[in-house]
This record gives sequence, C-alpha cells and structure tokens, in this order.
Amino acid sequence: MDFFATQERAQRHTARLMALFALAVGGVVACVYLAVRLLIYKTEDGPTGPFWNPKVFMPVATITIAVIALSTLYKIWSLRSGSEAIANLLGARRIAPNTTEPAERRLLNVVEEMALAAGLPVPSVVVLDNEPGINAFAAGWAPGDSILGVTRGCLDRLERDELQGVIGHELSHILNADARLNLHLIGWLHGLMVIAFIGYWILRSMGRSSGSSKKGGGAAIPLFGLALIVIGGIGVFFGRLIKSGISRQREFLADASSVQFTRNPLGLADALKKIGGAKDGSKIANPNAEQASHLYFSNGLKASWLSALSTHPPLEDRIRRLDPSFTGTFAATDPGPKLRPVIGVEIPENEERLAAGVVGLGGHTIAARVGTVQPTHVDYATQFIASLPAGLRERAREPATAPALLFALLLDRDPEVRIVQVRALEGAGPFLFDETQKAAAILASCPDAARLPLLDLALPALRQMSRPQWDAFRITTHALIVADSRISLFELVLQRALVRHLGPVFGGTRAKGAPTAQLSDRTTEVGLVLSALGHACGSDEPAAEAASFDAALCLLGGDAGSITFSSRDDCPPEVIDRALRSLAALVPQGKKRLLEAATACAVADRKVTVAEAELLRAIADSLDCPVPPFLPGQEV
Amino acid sequence: MTPLIVLVILAVLIVFWVVSLYNGLVGLRNRFKNAFAQIDVQLKRRYDLIPNLVETAKGYMKFERETLEAVIAARNAASSAVGRAAANPADGQAVAGAMAAEGALTGALGKMFALAEAYPDLKANQNMALLQEELTSTENKVAFSRQAYNDAVMTYNTARERFPAALFAGAFGFAPATLFEITAPVEREAVKVSFT
Repeated sequence: MDFFATQERAQRHTARLMALFALAVGGVVACVYLAVRLLIYKTEDGPTGPFWNPKVFMPVATITIAVIALSTLYKIWSLRSGSEAIANLLGARRIAPNTTEPAERRLLNVVEEMALAAGLPVPSVVVLDNEPGINAFAAGWAPGDSILGVTRGCLDRLERDELQGVIGHELSHILNADARLNLHLIGWLHGLMVIAFIGYWILRSMGRSSGSSKKGGGAAIPLFGLALIVIGGIGVFFGRLIKSGISRQREFLADASSVQFTRNPLGLADALKKIGGAKDGSKIANPNAEQASHLYFSNGLKASWLSALSTHPPLEDRIRRLDPSFTGTFAATDPGPKLRPVIGVEIPENEERLAAGVVGLGGHTIAARVGTVQPTHVDYATQFIASLPAGLRERAREPATAPALLFALLLDRDPEVRIVQVRALEGAGPFLFDETQKAAAILASCPDAARLPLLDLALPALRQMSRPQWDAFRITTHALIVADSRISLFELVLQRALVRHLGPVFGGTRAKGAPTAQLSDRTTEVGLVLSALGHACGSDEPAAEAASFDAALCLLGGDAGSITFSSRDDCPPEVIDRALRSLAALVPQGKKRLLEAATACAVADRKVTVAEAELLRAIADSLDCPVPPFLPGQEV
Repeated sequence: MTPLIVLVILAVLIVFWVVSLYNGLVGLRNRFKNAFAQIDVQLKRRYDLIPNLVETAKGYMKFERETLEAVIAARNAASSAVGRAAANPADGQAVAGAMAAEGALTGALGKMFALAEAYPDLKANQNMALLQEELTSTENKVAFSRQAYNDAVMTYNTARERFPAALFAGAFGFAPATLFEITAPVEREAVKVSFT
C-alpha cells in the first residue's frame, strides 16, 4: 500500500465527489423549477402559458443554487476545526487522557499503542455515551489533527483484541486520508439536504396561519412546501447515492489494513459478529447520524431497502473476507454491559533497546515505510510504552505536566546552551519549572528513539490546554529553541510538529485545502532543508556534509538544477521553520521525492545513527507523513 | 423579481448567521464542560488521598478527633458537590456549590495541618510526608486545570454577552457560566490546641 498513491487517489475521489454534486444540484434545480412552474405560476399565467419561461427560470435557479451553495459553504466553514466540530455535531464526550476508569483506560492504551506503532500523533478519543450499539468513527483534516470516537457499547461489550481490530480499522481511515474525504462529504451534501428542511419549515408555518387564505393562492404555498420536501428527498437520495458509492469500497480496504496492522483477523471478525448478534447492532440513535453515516465503522442507520444506498458493505461479506469459516448465523449476544477483567498484554522480553546504536536503512526505504504498519511495530509500541519510566508516562498523560515534559524534550545536551534555556524556563512559572527539572532528570536515562514517541503520547494532554495557556506554552518553547542560534535540527523539527498538530486545536490558521505545490516551485525551501540535514548528518566535517547534500541532490534529478548547498549561517531556525511549513503543502509525489532525497542524505556516510533516523521520522511527521518506529537490528 | 431574490438571499444569510452564532455558543459551552471534567479528575485524586491522610494522622493526633472528623465530613461534602457539578457544569448553582464545598475542605485541611505542627512524631512519619507531597502536587494540577476551565468560561461568557448573540442567547437557553475560584473561609476560628 503506497501511502502517497492512496493520498492522490483520495484527492481524485474528492474531485469526483464535487462533479457528482454539481450534477445532483442541476437535477434539483430542474425539479424546483418544475414545481414552481406547475404550482405557483399557473394561477398567474394560466395553465396554457409557455412551459419554459426564462423569466421564471432565472430567479428560481438563482435562489435554489444560492441556497444550496450557501448551505454547503456554511457547513464546510463550520467544520473547519475538524475534530472538535465533529465531536460537537455527534454530541460526543472527550475522554480525559489521564482517566483511571478501567474501560476508558483500556481504550486509551489500545489507541496509544496503535498510534505509536503507525508513527501517528495520538488522536483525541471521544465516546458517545448514550449509544448502546457498537460503532466507531474517525475524522479529521490531517493525520496530526484527528479524532477517534467509539460508542458506549464498544467500551462495554468488546474484548481487548476486538477493540484493537476496530481501532486499527479507524486508524487506517486516518492514514488513507479517508477521514478528510469524510469531512468533505458532510459539508458538500449538507446543501442538498437543506431544501427538504426549508419545505418542512414552510409547511409548519403555513399550517399555523390557516385562518388567512389568499384568493386562490391559499393552496399553492403549502403544496409548494410539500413539493420542496419531495425535492429535498430527491436531494437526500442523490446524496446517499454519492456517499455510498464512495464509502463502501473503502470499508473493505480499511478492514484489510486493520488485519495488516494487527495480524489478527479474528479480532475484527469477532467485533463484527458481535454487531450482527446484538439487538441494537451498530445503530446510532442520534438524529444527526444521517449526516455522518459514512463516518461510522458499521451501518449506523436502519438497513436501507436499496442496497446501493447503504454506506457500508453487508456485514456477512465483511466477516467472510476476514474469517472464511463463518457460517452466516450470528450468536445472539447479551445486550447488557459486561466488562471482563483485562487480561494483560504479553510484553516480549525487553532485550534489545535502541541504545546509541546503528540502525539499518535502505536507500528508498523511508518513503516506502510511510503509512505502513506491521504487527511487529504494534508489539514494539506496546513494549515501548510499558518500559517507559512510570514518571514519564504519567507526565505525558497529565495535562498539567505535559508542557513540562515537552520543555524537557527541547533542552539541549550542550551545558552552555542549557544555562540559557533554563533562564528562559523561569518565565514559565515555578510549577512548570520544577516539573521540567524533574522530567529532564528522568529523560536523561532515556534513549534518543524515545523523544518523538513521547511527543506523540503527550499530544492528547496538550490539547486540553486553554488558549492563553497555549500562547504561554508557545512563547516558552520558542524561547527554548532560540536560546542559541546553533539549534539542533531535531529540536526545531519537534517544535514544528507541535505547532502543526496543535495549531488547529487552538484556532491557528490552517489551510485545509488540498496540497498543490510542485517540487519545482519549492526548490529554495528544499535546498535549505537538505542543507540543514547535511549539516546535521555530516558529523561536523565540511566534506562529509557536502557529500551528504550532493547525494540528496542526485535523487532530485532535473529539479535539482538551481539548488545549492547553504552554509550553516544561512540556515537559522526561523528560516528552516518557514521552509518546513511551506513544504507541507507539496503534492504527495513531491513529498515522496523529498523524503527519498532526505534518506539519501542520511545514508551518504554509510552509517545511519538512531539520532539521524529519528530526525528523518520527525521531518516526515512535519510533512504529515507518519513513519512507523525503527526496530532494533533492521537490515540495511 | 430582483428585489424578491435579494430579500430571499438576505433572509437566508441572516438565518445562517444566527445558526452559526448558536453553534458557536454550543461549541464554547462544550469546551468549558470538558475543562470541568479535567478539574473533576484532579479533585477526585485529592478526595482519594484524604482518608489515607486522616488515618495516618489519627494514630498520632489522638486528641484532635473533632478536627479530623471535620476533615472527613468536609471531604465527603465536597466530593458529592463536585460530582453534582461535573454532571452538569453549565448549571451555575451547582458549580458555585462545588466551589464553596472545596473552599470549606481547604479550610478544614489547613486547620488540621496547623495542628499537626505540634506533633513532631507525625511530621517525621514517612507515609505522612509522602501523602503531603502528593497532596501538594495534586493541588498544583488542580490549579492548572482550574485556570484552563476559567479561560474557557471567560471565552464563553464573552461570546454570550456580545451583540447580537446577547439578543437570543437567553432564549436559546445559554446561561452565564460560573468561574471556579477556591474561596478560603474568611473567618477562621481560633485554633484550639489542647495540652492534655
């Protein structure tokens, strides 16, 4: 599964969606015109007037298109905050990252393991408390700013490996950019459905004023309202057709991806079987469920009479693909909540730690690793979280101390720089200052490979900050970064990742438009980033640094014409930061080539240290390309 | 025809404006409700620490039964008050009640610690020191989550009071939210230390 190819395919699907939407709007406009012409204008023109009347058509068409367009634009605008908007729409409650409630804690543990295994920032998790059915969803404009939701039924009724199957399915939606397409669907289809709402409103308000009846026109307006409802129904029909056409195939793909992640097809199959056997199945009772029906793990609405309108493939088909021995009958499951005691996950022997060793890395491998998760990664992530010092794990999950952990991650190894940074820390207040010192003490014994996963782990807690707290946090992190102009590239990329993943939560400007920049348009920025990378990987020898840079340039081929190696002075932190931000808008193929060039840069000296590998992972993360962690002893 | 089109479009725009203001307020309300849930998590930890604390102190402060019982009583009252508020943080009265109960608990704890100064054996006790340290750490975390909650409440209240949202906020059931401030009891009784 080529991550970049799936990103492009998702973009093509979005284009197809908009084309289908335009067609549907055309159909609706024609129907509204018919209704107006037959019902309202026959009293003025008489039934013998010309059928096609441009003077009537223009205003009708204008108003209808305006209403649909405005509704759609409004809905897309209201979804701009992505994860939070969906949570509000569905009435979901956020799970605190430091929760101690056993079912919630187990769910968060599963999400953390799978997210770290994929190299994704840990998404926020919400729960639909009032839904006894078993269902889940994932939504978000970017992998770094996504939200995962489950129903109460999921928490109460699923075993741990079934939960893992479901979460794997949802995470694959995030990795495949389906989560983004889903949000587009909600926005675009809202316009089609709004006509029906207007019809209802007209009928209701006409019904109230039944006393006054105009001459002859009294019957026409309620009829018009009724017609609008019918037309609105047509709009809804088109909408569901579009949704199901796009949604069904991706569900099979997500099921397959989940099996790939967990190596356990039975976990997911058991979850689906439970849905089949339960009384409420996967039904979502919330009236807003229709809007988001394509988001869910399984069908959230009553089974449609027309299978083409269903947003999900039939349950039996999905189970049979996972478990060929399935007989087709569901065992009835008890709808009451039952939470069996949690059986501990087997943690493999903690023999090989990623100490300051060497990691093997093939030439093009990092681009090929993006978005791929293997069961070994999940095992590694589970072991990693379990072997973290307890103090760090708690600090990462606690909203009050997560900022301190981040500050500790940004502290430089060089004692002179550290002195300046400590002074900058004092501005954060005594509590955070003390916590940072404590966290730094524990961090000193952690390997380099732990830094990026710790940041990913801490993100849900950081999202709980308030806006003023976030502003103060940004000021301190900025001060820590610029404490010395000779900043480590890794710390800079960490900060970029922070801003990129947390900015949308706190209302920062976030372009949710599709990435459109070509590599050939961004050569300056590419040159800057590769130069900085060359400096970082060249172990301070100018010859080695230049060689790394040249290796990277070879891979860029024709586009490399105008790129030159910049000296260290030309690569101050702000410049690199801006370059990275600009490069995040590259088209998927552009990002792929950039990452391949970056890899070549790192392997130029035939030796890739753990630090360099993590640097590559961090750069990929700032480009919204999640890379699974490197396992010890991987082959070159 | 044209004035009709313009009027219709204008009407549609106004409807969208109102809808977006409404949804905005809903979003801000959810945000401060979520922030209160975090306060609840921290305070629960505090309430879990206190019985252990009192048990340890009981062994040494044999003659301060009243004070210790007052702490337990205040802790139970605060626990249920905060639980009620957590169920619906949009209810101003419940939040105010939780604040008052928390303030009373802080006062009772303060009294207990003041008395404990007179018991050097207690101060030397390892368990006591550990519990006190955890209590302090929890209080710092409460302060952080309280600040986040108050920020969210300020944002919500400001949005609610702005024109034109102020016109219909009340009609749609958006009540003003209460800030969460720990108020220590103003008058303190003279601390009675017994010398028996």
